[in-house]
Order: sequence, then C-alpha cells, then structure tokens
Amino acid sequence: MNAGHFLAIFISSIFVSNVILSRFLGLCSFIAISKETRPALAMSSAVLFVIVMSSAITWVVYNYLLIPFDLAYLRTISFILVIASCVQLVEMVIRKFMPALYRVFGIYLPLITVNCAVLGVAVLNTDMFFSRGKPLPGSFIFSVFQGVCVGIGYTLAMLLMSAIRERLEYSRVPEAVREFPIAFVTASLMSLSFMGFNGFRF
Amino acid sequence: MENKLIVTAAPHLHAHQSTARIMWSVSLALLPAGAAGVYLFGYAALAVIVTAVAAALATEWLLQKMTRRQVTLLDGSAFLTGLLLAYNLPSGVPLWMPAVGSFFAIAVGKQIFGGLGQNIFNPALAARAFLMASWPAYMTSFRAPGFDAVASATPLSALKEGHLRQVYSYLDLFLGNKGGCIGEVCVAGLLAGAVFLFLKGYITWHIPVSYLLTAGIFHYVFGPSGLFSGDWLFYLFSGGLVLGAFYMATDYVTSPLTAKGQLIYGTGCGLLTVVIRLWGGYPEGTCYAILMMNAVSPFIDRYTRGRIYGTGKMR
Amino acid sequence: MKLLPEFLKGIIKQNPIFVLALGLCPVLAVSTSVKNALGMGAAATFVLVGSNCIVSLIKKGVPDTIRIPCFIIVIATFVTIAELVMKAYSPALNRALGIYVPLIVVNCVVLGRAEAFASRRTLPASLADALGMGIGFTLGLALISAVRELLGSGQLLGYTLLPGFQPALMMALPPGALLVIGGMLGFFNLLKGRKE
Repeated sequence: MNAGHFLAIFISSIFVSNVILSRFLGLCSFIAISKETRPALAMSSAVLFVIVMSSAITWVVYNYLLIPFDLAYLRTISFILVIASCVQLVEMVIRKFMPALYRVFGIYLPLITVNCAVLGVAVLNTDMFFSRGKPLPGSFIFSVFQGVCVGIGYTLAMLLMSAIRERLEYSRVPEAVREFPIAFVTASLMSLSFMGFNGFRF
Repeated sequence: MENKLIVTAAPHLHAHQSTARIMWSVSLALLPAGAAGVYLFGYAALAVIVTAVAAALATEWLLQKMTRRQVTLLDGSAFLTGLLLAYNLPSGVPLWMPAVGSFFAIAVGKQIFGGLGQNIFNPALAARAFLMASWPAYMTSFRAPGFDAVASATPLSALKEGHLRQVYSYLDLFLGNKGGCIGEVCVAGLLAGAVFLFLKGYITWHIPVSYLLTAGIFHYVFGPSGLFSGDWLFYLFSGGLVLGAFYMATDYVTSPLTAKGQLIYGTGCGLLTVVIRLWGGYPEGTCYAILMMNAVSPFIDRYTRGRIYGTGKMR
Repeated sequence: MKLLPEFLKGIIKQNPIFVLALGLCPVLAVSTSVKNALGMGAAATFVLVGSNCIVSLIKKGVPDTIRIPCFIIVIATFVTIAELVMKAYSPALNRALGIYVPLIVVNCVVLGRAEAFASRRTLPASLADALGMGIGFTLGLALISAVRELLGSGQLLGYTLLPGFQPALMMALPPGALLVIGGMLGFFNLLKGRKE
C-alpha cells in the first residue's frame, strides 16, 4: 500500500476507465440529466456522496457479515438494500436539515438508487480488493478511495458533457440526431480522447 | 459625424476576412510543411495527401447533397480538414485509411454536429484518434526519410521504448530528417507558415505560446534523469507538437472565445501533452491532449465570459 | 383483453433500447460479441419475466410508499438466481459478462416495467409485457453486438465472414459502442420521422 497504488486508482477511475465513458455505468442519468450544468452538478455531488457512503458500508457488510456466514451469494441483494437505505437516509437528513438543498436535488435523490455507478462500484470493490474471500491489505481504504475517484470521474464527465450540450443547443444539429443520438456521438468522441491515458504508468 | 465608437466582444474578427479566406490561407500556410513531407517521404506521402483531401471533399459534397443543404466545398474547410488529417498520418499507410479517416472526420467530426462552426472536436484529430484506435499497427509504422521504404521509429517512440540509438541533432529535428507523420516532421516549414498566419492576423499568440511554453517548462522540469534536466528543445521539435500548437489547437471553432480562456486552454493542452508523453502508454500525446481540451472548451467558455457592459456584477 | 399487442409492442414499437432508451449501461458494455449479447438478453428476460409476474401478483398487498424498495428486493432475488445458475452452468459467460450480471438489478428496463406496467396490470398482461420487452431487449442487444462484432473483428458468432477485411478495433472499444448506439438511435429516429 503506497502512494503509487492510490495514484493508479486515481488515474484509472477518473480517466482510463472512466465510470461513464469507459465502463458505461450511470449512463441513464448521464444522458438524461447532462443537458444543463446546474442539475448536472447537483446530481453529481449527490451521487458522489452516496457512492462514498455506500462503498464504505457495503465493504463492511461484505467483510463482516456475508463472508463469515458464507452468504457471499447474497451480495447483490444486500448491496442494493444498503444503497437504497443510504439514499433514503441521505434524503431524510437533507430534507430535515437543509430544505433548500432538498428542493434543488428534487427527484434526483431517489434516482440514485438505480444508478448503475453506485452498485457497480460496490461490486467492483469486492471483485478488485478481495481475493478468495479474504480482503487484500488496505482493502477498505482502497475501496472508499475508489468510490471517491469514481464519483469525481462521474462529476467530470457530467460537467464537461453539460457544457457541451448547452453549447449544442445553439447548433443546427440535424433533426434525426438531436437530443440523444448526438449526445452519444459526443460521448464517443470524449471517450476516444480519454483513450490517450491508456497504459498509464507512474 | 462618423461613429468612431465600435463596442464588440472578443474575438475581434475583422468583417472583411471571410471564413473562406481564412481557411484557404491556413491551407496555404501548410504548404511548406507538406512539400517537405513529400520531399522527405516520397510519392507515397503525396498519395496520402491527395487521397485524404479528395475523400474529405467527396464526403462533404455527398452529405450536403443528401441532407439538401447548401454545398460549401469552396469555403476550403473540408480541404483543410483533409490536409490536416493527411499531415497526421505516417507516409506508409494503405490508401483506404486516409479515405476512411476523412469520411469519419467530415461525417462524424463535423457534419453530424450541424456543419461548419458547430463541431465540438477538431475533425482531423478526431479522425486521427479513430484511425489510431482502429488500426494501431498501420498508424505506428513509420518510414525513414529517403526513397527506400525503410522502417523507422520516431524520436519520441524510440525514447519511450528506451532505445534511442540514433542521435538526432537539433537541425535534424528542425528540418525533418527523422521518422514521423507527413506534416509534422518539418518544424521549419510549419514555423514559416505560422509566421505567415500571424502576420495576416489569422492566429493570435495566446494558444501557441501558452501551449509551447507549458510543454517546454514541464519537459524541462520532469526530465528523464532527475528534475530540471529535461531536453526541452528536443521535445518541442519532436512529434506533432508544433503542428498541433499552431494549426490544430488554434482552430476557432473548437477553442475558447476569450483571451483568458485561450490561455487556460493552451496551458491545459501543454500539460496533458507532456503527461501523456512521459507517463502514458502512447509516445505522443498532442492529439489526445487537444481533443480533451476541445471537450473542456465549452466549459471554459461558460466560466470566462466577457463582461457585458451595462450590467452589474457577473454571476 | 388482448394479450398479443402487449407482447408485440416490446419488440418494435416500444423497443426498450431504441425507443424507450432504457437499460443502456449493460447494452454498451456487453455488446462486444453476439454470443455475450444473447447470454445477457436471456438473463435479463428471465429476471424481467420473474419480477413482472411476482410484482403483478403482490401489487395489492404492497404499501405505496415502499413499493419501489419492495420491487427492488423481488428483482434482486431473481437476479441472484440468474447469477447462481450462470455461475454453475456457464462460468465462461459469467466471466465475460462480469459485473453486469448483478447490475441487472438496477437495469432501468426491469424496474421500469415493474413500476409502469406490472404494478397496475393483471398477471397475464404483465407476463406478455415482460416477454415482449425481454425479446425486444435481446434483439436490440444482438443487433448492436452484430454490428460491433462484424466491424470490430470481422467475425460473427466466431465465424469469419469477411476475409481480408481489416477490422476497425475501435468498434470493440467503448468509443465504438457509443458511436454505434448513437448512430442506431439516429437511424431509428430517421425511420420514425419518415413514417409520420
């Protein structure tokens, strides 16, 4: 466990295997909500928060509950329950203590439950940082850190895409490709440019 | 009385310089570099250039006819895109590659976004990245200058693989006596064209200077043998950096509007180029750096908007 | 009550991928080969049918405020069954599909049909809907995979169709996937526009 590992996770999660542009997780929300910058930023920050929280809790559940009792096959069900509860908790807390923020987030909060990126990272963590049922050294820290980086990568893709799409509003895009198709073509070119970070080694 | 007060926002494009004039001027400025490329690499290079340009023109004509829009081949932008794409290719590629690449550049890089002025990414670079991702073997097979088609590495790729056996003099690098893409090797020709464009006022100093300065500084600082030991001149003259900094990053459509934005953009390009060159898997990062900054450009524009006179504090 | 329209709509008119634009995460990730696509389609259809039926049966007994979490638990159960069956009988497919098998839980198609259709309609209708949507999803997925596999490797289901064709590797990579789906969505929009 050294700085190199953290840097590798950082570069990999944000650029080389960007959660949206490379792993295709969180695509639904990406295409739907990246039309304007403000909702994009709101959704991204909420997602980042939930990802970090659920990365931590799912790791604990996996390591101290599922593995000892030989229930690893219940991973999917238990993880999604944890995520749904996290989202519910976040929603309740924000509604109680920061009502203005709650109004900004609006319907985005409950949507995070079905955001592929959240469950995806939780599952990725258990695949990457566990070996034959045992956590690798530094597993918890790496899992949470990967969650943070994935959230940052998600935010980066969302912010860039929303600025681009706001600009595309002024373009004479052909009728047939307006809205979704051009968004995908743009994402394709963004993904192509991110390929520049392939094979990154510090 | 004549109204001497003309208040406009940047960029200050003079009205009598039409798009077509600018496009064709840039193509003209690229001639020396292309001529050098053909001289160095032979008829194969010429064939690539001609194919790329022809395919670009054909694609644009076809798409504009199909979508019943006005055919604008004479504005020189398709010609320029084809030319720039050819300059970014090794001389030995099979001729279907520049053809497919030009098609991609015009169709996916430009027309699908609505045509001239609407695209987000530099079409020629998008096509180059597409060709690189699709047929990497062809895109990394370079020839040495001369009439025999002898395989060669480029200075950057040799450096990355750790066997820089051939010693390149700065003059070699400057004039183009090295392996590389058709239009990127002759730095002298590129600079000559760039001076022409400066004098005409078609490009400003902001992007090229910030790009090259940032790249040079970072190459110097993060030298291969310890800090502050980098051979920055070698790196500046190698790869597609000069071609990118003066001709591709300066594209009006895909770079920010304001001077401040352009400086940020140029710095970003420089930084990303060096990062990829030093620590990424590819030997050269210019193409990807510019494409990534293209994606960031709308974001930069959004947050460096010029002040609108008469209104209060900027949001 | 006609069941056939409920079944058929999922295949073309309301195709989950090209018309409703749902469940795209696994579509892009898994569409590198037709074989994988069919495997994923089968798994998704199984989950869809199972969850639609159960949701339709329990819809009266579920309190409205917690219906989404309840649906998710039902779906997660079927996904776990699919996961275990796949691990046991086709581990190669399971490895190929990777994390996208458990991700069927949050596949918008499955939850979307449960919420929008099965929670309001009868069991036979929900079954028809699930089958139609599942087949439509699989067909769409297979179509995209066919394009990507053909262009990206010159092969289809492992058979080399175009000898001498230099495959465009990008098609097998993420940018290629995004480009193909963008192109196909645009193409289908064009067809829709022509019809009207």
